[in-house]
Amino acid sequence: MMSFRLQIILVVILLAALAVIIAMLKKRTLDLKYVLVWLFCLIVLLIFSIFPGTMTKLARFIGIYSPVNMIFFLGFLLAVTIIFTLTVSLSRTTGKVRKLAQMMALENDTWEKDKKEAGTGAGVNADHEQAHEELHLQ
Amino acid sequence: MKKLIIIPAYNEQESILDTVRDVEKNAPGFDYVVVNDCSKDNTLQICRENHIHVLDLPINLGIGGAVQTGYLYAYRNGYDIAAQIDGDGQHDASYLGMMADELISENLDMVIGSRFIDNEGFQSSWIRRSGIRFFTFLMRVLFGKTITDATSGMRLCNRRTMELFIRDYPRDYPEPETVARLLRHKYNVKEVPVRMRERSGGVSSISARKSVYYMIKVTLAILMERLR
Repeated sequence: MMSFRLQIILVVILLAALAVIIAMLKKRTLDLKYVLVWLFCLIVLLIFSIFPGTMTKLARFIGIYSPVNMIFFLGFLLAVTIIFTLTVSLSRTTGKVRKLAQMMALENDTWEKDKKEAGTGAGVNADHEQAHEELHLQ
Repeated sequence: MKKLIIIPAYNEQESILDTVRDVEKNAPGFDYVVVNDCSKDNTLQICRENHIHVLDLPINLGIGGAVQTGYLYAYRNGYDIAAQIDGDGQHDASYLGMMADELISENLDMVIGSRFIDNEGFQSSWIRRSGIRFFTFLMRVLFGKTITDATSGMRLCNRRTMELFIRDYPRDYPEPETVARLLRHKYNVKEVPVRMRERSGGVSSISARKSVYYMIKVTLAILMERLR
């Protein structure tokens, strides 16, 4: 069995983590899409910490002798899952950023061509600057 | 027939001007575009001052992303043939005309300039040659075709190949992997003998420390290509 002291410590840590996540969600620092898996993870761990009995049964079933190890094992599995999903989304984001940068380079290039075609009039330069400003505003 | 030369450049301030002048002088009938991969040195300023056509990437994408930008530009602007050469001055632009003729007359999808057919010009170090020979072996086993210089950055391709490259292009060390991809799709790839020079400036992207990583990554990429 899990000692009462460890039980308290776990519950406190998990509740604190939950509070931090919810606070960050409120401030929109975190995207709900990525937070769902964390919330799920925290809640599962919380349930097992508060009701160690459920965990003992599960641990026996899997073949783990100590229920505490079960908690660590579960936490580890969930953490690895989260890290993996992050790697996937990072790969996707990298692809998107690349596309974006390439489009920007091509876009900027046509500006310059226009500039050359229109000659060296001040109006063209003004247009160019305006476009830059618009980019900043966005 | 519109032909474009793509020159990816990352920190090539010493050699970019010579490379472009070489292209202007020795590759008649070709347009060119330099792709500045967010260089930290004066590559961009040198290009601007000398009225060199340059695509300026706002962030560093790596050689693959830079070259792909060039292919994107070529495809969108209706070029029939796109060539790439390195910005470090090791490739001789005078071969490109011959390579283009080869591509058209034999109806090929890609022509690669290879150092190891006639074994003339700069031959790279012994250790690098062994690496390249290993890729030759790997591709012969996996795809049944002999490519003597899969790492060559001097290549020329048609619109069909451009389409493939636009869709997907590896980030770093792209050459062997993309050749493998073409072979997998049963595209017509041919090598022609060229002489290369030693790079005239800048630093190779593959340092001694990185070469182990390079070999592992590229080998894995080629194997993955076979599994696709």
